[in-house]
Amino acid sequence: MDFAPSYTPEQEAFRKEVRSWLDDHAPVIEGDQDSPENYAKFRQLGRDLGQQGWLRPTAPVEFGGGGMGFEETVVLYEEMSRRDLSIPPYYDSGGWLGGASILVWGSDEQKQALLPPIFKGDVVTWQLLTGPEAGSDLAGTQTDAVRDGDDYIVNGEKIYVGGSNGVDMLWTLTRTDPDGERHKNLSWFMIPADLPGITIRPMDLLGDGGEGVGSGVKNTVYFDNVRVPAERLVGGENNGWQVATTHLELEHGAGGSVARNLWFSRALEWARERRLNGRPLVEDSDAQDRLVEIYEKTEIQRLFGIRNFWMNRTHQAMTYEGPQSSYFRKLSGLDITTALHELFGPYALTNDEITDFSEGALDAYQRSAIVALHPGGTADVQKVLMARRIGMGRSEAERYKAGKTVE
Amino acid sequence: MDLSLTDQQEMLKQAVDAFVSRDAPIETLIELQQTERGFSDDMWRTAGELGWLGMLIPEEYGGSDTGYTDAGVVFEALGKGPVPGPFFSTVLAGEIIKELGNDAQKENYLTRIANGSLIATLAMSEPDYQWGIAGVQLTPTEDGEDYILNGEKSFVYDGHAADLIITAVRTGSGDNDISLLLVDTSTPGVSARKLEGFTSSESSVTFENARIPKSALLGECCEITDGLHAALMRATPLLCAYQVGGAQSVFDLSVQYSRDRVQFGRPIGRFQFVQNHIVQLVIHLDSARWTTYEALWKMDTGRETEAAIHLAKAVTSDGYRQACDYGHEVHAGTGVVREYGLTLYTRQSRSLFHALGEPRYHRKQLAKLMPTLQLDDE
Repeated sequence: MDFAPSYTPEQEAFRKEVRSWLDDHAPVIEGDQDSPENYAKFRQLGRDLGQQGWLRPTAPVEFGGGGMGFEETVVLYEEMSRRDLSIPPYYDSGGWLGGASILVWGSDEQKQALLPPIFKGDVVTWQLLTGPEAGSDLAGTQTDAVRDGDDYIVNGEKIYVGGSNGVDMLWTLTRTDPDGERHKNLSWFMIPADLPGITIRPMDLLGDGGEGVGSGVKNTVYFDNVRVPAERLVGGENNGWQVATTHLELEHGAGGSVARNLWFSRALEWARERRLNGRPLVEDSDAQDRLVEIYEKTEIQRLFGIRNFWMNRTHQAMTYEGPQSSYFRKLSGLDITTALHELFGPYALTNDEITDFSEGALDAYQRSAIVALHPGGTADVQKVLMARRIGMGRSEAERYKAGKTVE
Repeated sequence: MDLSLTDQQEMLKQAVDAFVSRDAPIETLIELQQTERGFSDDMWRTAGELGWLGMLIPEEYGGSDTGYTDAGVVFEALGKGPVPGPFFSTVLAGEIIKELGNDAQKENYLTRIANGSLIATLAMSEPDYQWGIAGVQLTPTEDGEDYILNGEKSFVYDGHAADLIITAVRTGSGDNDISLLLVDTSTPGVSARKLEGFTSSESSVTFENARIPKSALLGECCEITDGLHAALMRATPLLCAYQVGGAQSVFDLSVQYSRDRVQFGRPIGRFQFVQNHIVQLVIHLDSARWTTYEALWKMDTGRETEAAIHLAKAVTSDGYRQACDYGHEVHAGTGVVREYGLTLYTRQSRSLFHALGEPRYHRKQLAKLMPTLQLDDE
């Protein structure tokens, strides 16, 4: 058993190559991560990674992916994570989840047309699932797509969509048969965001989506008689629920992560810097106990992430592990933010330029930990999925199968 | 990165699983639990013959010197039983002797541990109960070439069955002036009484004018705390692995029960409150599993382990205990019927909660590391 990448000579050579490449290409980010200036830098990094096939390391080379094996992939993720960069280095929910879905369910023409722009970093894609009428009950969507000649006409409203700094493509779940049976009347479309009839408006929420760079703002997307070419329908008309199993599997945490647990290291560093009764805060035994609470949560979160990363990339059969790690992450966010209150007092709440020592991180996290309870399925939904995948109260044959993924 | 078991580990796991299902099924373990000795000498002998006791002992003493993860795999499989017996106590004693014994002591004791002909354990805590060096107050008097011991050691796991009790005593006035005495239990004045109750193998060991030669000192007198700490820490994840195995069985039983038990016209596993118990259970199980296995891996690869081991023990002792609580929520009345078997695990979960220090002890040790903790950054 090995919790770190094994250091084969090939991996070591690749690690050197990646580090040196990142020394040349990793942008210097200052101030608000989400600013247009910084966003442009992250996008450029994405395009540069795409040139190398590193934006989508394990996807097939013929579509712009890297065709890389697990050993190299994990090195790449580790080196990016070391610089607090994600893959991709910007919010691209539709690219990540839609791209994965198209790899499994798309026609050859669709793969050729739709995947390279995603995998090369040329387009940003948002996923559109939730509507006012359908959140946890995703299958209840009323965004309708009606066939009209060679097109579909799309009408509806999607909410909690995307991020900031604009979008190119919209990976959208629609209802193509309003009178049809539930779960058998849905279809996915990859819709260009500049089609006539599409309006995007920011929502006013508690904090950022907590999902990474460029996700600072969520949006409402209105479809008003939008004409979408039929070749943009992916995975078969009314087969959308099957396609969704791939999408949702990854969104529910099956993909895992090798990222570092930033909140413990931050809390520890600040506790060493702050003072209490004339001594460093970290020497106070109550403060130490809070740090241990944070340590425990972040360590377990990290271990679930690694486990899922390894299982997913080496194609192990996964069942409940994705939703388990999502659920744990969501609930721990509340535990960690509580511990931060107790560790730093009201400093945990302010982003005042003079008073705040965390460059806005503490205030942002207090909000985003609350917001994070719902995206990608609420904490309750994660538990329901765990119950189905474990087969509680179900025979083996009835056990709800995890979605097929190619990552 | 590879989170699968090696071929050798798979083989070990299968061998122990087969042994458990053949020789130590639940019915047998329920009967055993009610005997005075509390474990089976046949099972002990099998473990010795199959080399499970010598996994961490160097080959020159007849051990197989496999890694800690291999040993963890065996302990996890034993914990699934939950097979009772002085397996962990003896392996812990082996670690202590390996760390601190002189050549003659190693030759004498490690060989016999490896071949299963010696049952051994460690006696640390005392009536004023506290885990750790500070809880050791028992002070021998000196009489020429011997020590005379009068007093009591409390909650010694497998003390009643042990041939050898490594006994911690205070031999100086400094906080760390602790020594370890290799006490043969056939020594006049040494007696052990198994403690009944919601216990597993805890015993009370009494010394009444027991004469122990000074040659029975392990290693050097009064300089052994670092070595003792190191040995205890290395052995700890193995006990964690045993607890993980037990929690796994509780999970398996609970899932199966959720399918078999029908009420209100459906299997109870369809009800969300019942589902929640199993959800929480499996989170405790997997938290325990992965913190334990990472600690084992860190030991096998020579990495810093202090924080990882304290974390694993806190999470696992809490986790096993809570897993059983949730298991009981799922099972309701059925779960407390002795012959069903769930209570075997519940009993273990309570007993092992204390072994090698309670979760609070380990979290306190972690807390003290905070000012100087170095974060992994490879």
